[in-house]
Amino acid sequence: MQNLRQAATEAFHRLGLKQRHLGYEELSDLEDSNFSSEPQPHWFHTLQVRRLRVQRSRSNSDPLGGKSFEQEFQWKTGLQFGTATSYLNLEKLGEGAYATVYKGISRINGHLVALKVIRMKTEEGVPFTAIREASLLKGLKHANIVLLHDIIHTRESLTFVFEYVQTDLAQYMTQHPGGLHSHNVRIFMFQLLRGLSYIHGRRILHRDLKPQNLLISYLGELKLADFGLARSKSIPSQTYSSEVVTLWYRPPDVLLGSTDYSTALDIWGAGCIFIEMLQGAPAFPGVTDVFEQLQKIWAVLGVPTEDTWPGVSELPNFKPEWFLPCEPQLFRNVWKRLGQLPYKTEDLAQQLLRGAPRDRISAQDALQHPYFNTLPPPLMHLRDTVSVFKVPGVRLEAEARDIFSPGRRIRPSLAPLTKCW
Amino acid sequence: MLCFQITICFDTERCLQPLKNLANNKIAMKYNGSTENQRLVDLLDDALARETRLWKAPVFKNGRIQGTDISQFQYEDVVLWLDKLSRLLKFCPETYALGVDILNRLLATVKAQPKYLRCIAITSLILAAKVNEEDEVIASVKDLAVRSGCNFSTAEILRMERIILDKLHWDLYTATAIDFIHIFHALVMSGHPHLPHLCTQKKPCLQVAPWTRQVQHCMACHQLSQFKGSTLALAIITLELERLTPDWFSVFTDLLKKAQIASTELICCREMVDEYLDSLEFSVPPNAVYILDTASIMNFGTRDPDLGSGKTWPRADRPRKPDRAKAGRGEGEADEFYDGFRCLYNEGMVVEVGDDSTRGFGEAYQGVSPCPPLQPPVS
Repeated sequence: MQNLRQAATEAFHRLGLKQRHLGYEELSDLEDSNFSSEPQPHWFHTLQVRRLRVQRSRSNSDPLGGKSFEQEFQWKTGLQFGTATSYLNLEKLGEGAYATVYKGISRINGHLVALKVIRMKTEEGVPFTAIREASLLKGLKHANIVLLHDIIHTRESLTFVFEYVQTDLAQYMTQHPGGLHSHNVRIFMFQLLRGLSYIHGRRILHRDLKPQNLLISYLGELKLADFGLARSKSIPSQTYSSEVVTLWYRPPDVLLGSTDYSTALDIWGAGCIFIEMLQGAPAFPGVTDVFEQLQKIWAVLGVPTEDTWPGVSELPNFKPEWFLPCEPQLFRNVWKRLGQLPYKTEDLAQQLLRGAPRDRISAQDALQHPYFNTLPPPLMHLRDTVSVFKVPGVRLEAEARDIFSPGRRIRPSLAPLTKCW
Repeated sequence: MLCFQITICFDTERCLQPLKNLANNKIAMKYNGSTENQRLVDLLDDALARETRLWKAPVFKNGRIQGTDISQFQYEDVVLWLDKLSRLLKFCPETYALGVDILNRLLATVKAQPKYLRCIAITSLILAAKVNEEDEVIASVKDLAVRSGCNFSTAEILRMERIILDKLHWDLYTATAIDFIHIFHALVMSGHPHLPHLCTQKKPCLQVAPWTRQVQHCMACHQLSQFKGSTLALAIITLELERLTPDWFSVFTDLLKKAQIASTELICCREMVDEYLDSLEFSVPPNAVYILDTASIMNFGTRDPDLGSGKTWPRADRPRKPDRAKAGRGEGEADEFYDGFRCLYNEGMVVEVGDDSTRGFGEAYQGVSPCPPLQPPVS
């Protein structure tokens, strides 16, 4: 936390901003001797209390997120989109396969941003992941899809500027172990399916769904991110790369070597995430090879046959003699949390996690599932760009366990950081 | 209720893989109803919106792209080269179509010099491949440059990549004619399930593959580049429907309405596609004697009879249809459905009476130098 404050203070210093009691004012002279270079923790503390309704950990300080606050200070004029000088790095948030993500701040309007700095290969130009991500996101405007603000492209570097979202589902689940509040699961799941329904309706597959790629705002808004592996899908099936989805969230048809997958690929991932949110542990975890991953799935669904899954025997990796005989299990017997909730929860999980891709429910139909009946009806008719939290009565409930606020129900010593219980 | 929902989902997946397996499709059609059709219509609307937002074509004036020294022959040549390259590199037709789309958008946005035309073209194809192909299919840029036979260095291509991305604002993902072929095909199959039964066993018909080839051929014609992908796709499909069934007109009007395409524009495109594909059915030898088809001059005005460097035209994968060509002129046995179509045609032409060679093209195509399809001598 101290580091963050330090970084933010330095950033403001570089921006030439001076803190006042109620906000910041523009300085004409960067060398203003009155400016204190010491961190002033109380600024941020005050702002946090003002902005944050849900108390959370990491990077949740959102000092500049509210509109009312923005109105209290002005920013330097003359700065433009598309140039590196318009943004300042605050702290490193993470590192991916082809990019490093920083938290940053826009000098144009003071918004917090996520700066995705993409590594450029000198011989190959812009990586295909970056081109796909940018060109797909350019056409997608939806409350449950992360917003791409700006692209800074120079000879040496490439940076995508995204809206800043406080945390992601993986971190959220780490912070609230033992399974999430069932009401919150419903809201997250509705938003996930809403985002999927939107992209699937536009012939786009995400192909890399996992909790790390689902961003969660301080309000609880869920946003699909990381479209680097996404691609547009023509209507006829084509040969897709079978090396795309993280193993835990990969559907059995793809594990069996099918390459003509479609939207059902993302639906399986959504089903796995549904179970993980409820149960507090991944649905099919802990293995590194395809065979073991399949065995985990068969342990729940049973080994498929031509009767239960027509066409399965023609898939390249289908070797029934390799698998231990398994009978289909009731989901509630495998994932105990389902047994404690109304039947429709288990029913939705079953429809999302069908072995045969053709039997899996579509995102659009899943939104109509009785599981979502308890949500306010206006949710079903929202415009694409409107957040579900605009509907009166929609808000997150406090989670039962919070390892960062241990005072409420559990002591810190009882809340391990790893997800193994 | 739940069973019903599962069924719909099941059918969506099937229907989105049209005619991969006819038997499957029949099952799909048995169950799917308006829901499935609605999804296809939504898909079409989204594709049309994307096309409307992004589509752009270079304007040809006096045989050159307006404001540049690039002639229409250089343009057609480079598009044919992309087609060849795309097949050599085993890219899918969507990638080729997207590459040409990017090329057209760039040529319509900047004033390019002829010496950079190939560099722009190959970079457009590389960008399309990065959007569309799996990375294991995409060769390295260096390898690609070598295999293409162009003399550009990696650095030149990468510099061009940066320029194109910047000029097009990274907004590359659009709907091409190939995408529309797939969507219209699915709409025809789901909305008119009786149509496939009209196909005789001998001739495959209503299939995506030959239509796709036709689109690829048509994209190399500079006049046809003036039409949006949706218009071109619908023109190609209705030409086959017309050959296939007397009932084609109702299917056609249905699609026309869904696609929100102006009938005059479609008619113009259809005629041009028909003539163009007919002309491709002969492999034109070098030094061929060209005979001007006066009937087509009526429709298309004049064109410099120089057809470029005597290239060998690829053969169109299209069944011959002499019956239509004759009936199409409106003489002799008047097909009532054709009459309906001609009414529409005349309606379109009334507005544009005059001897101006650009008539029928509307305002957007002012200054286009339309070519009459030159007929090689039939020996």
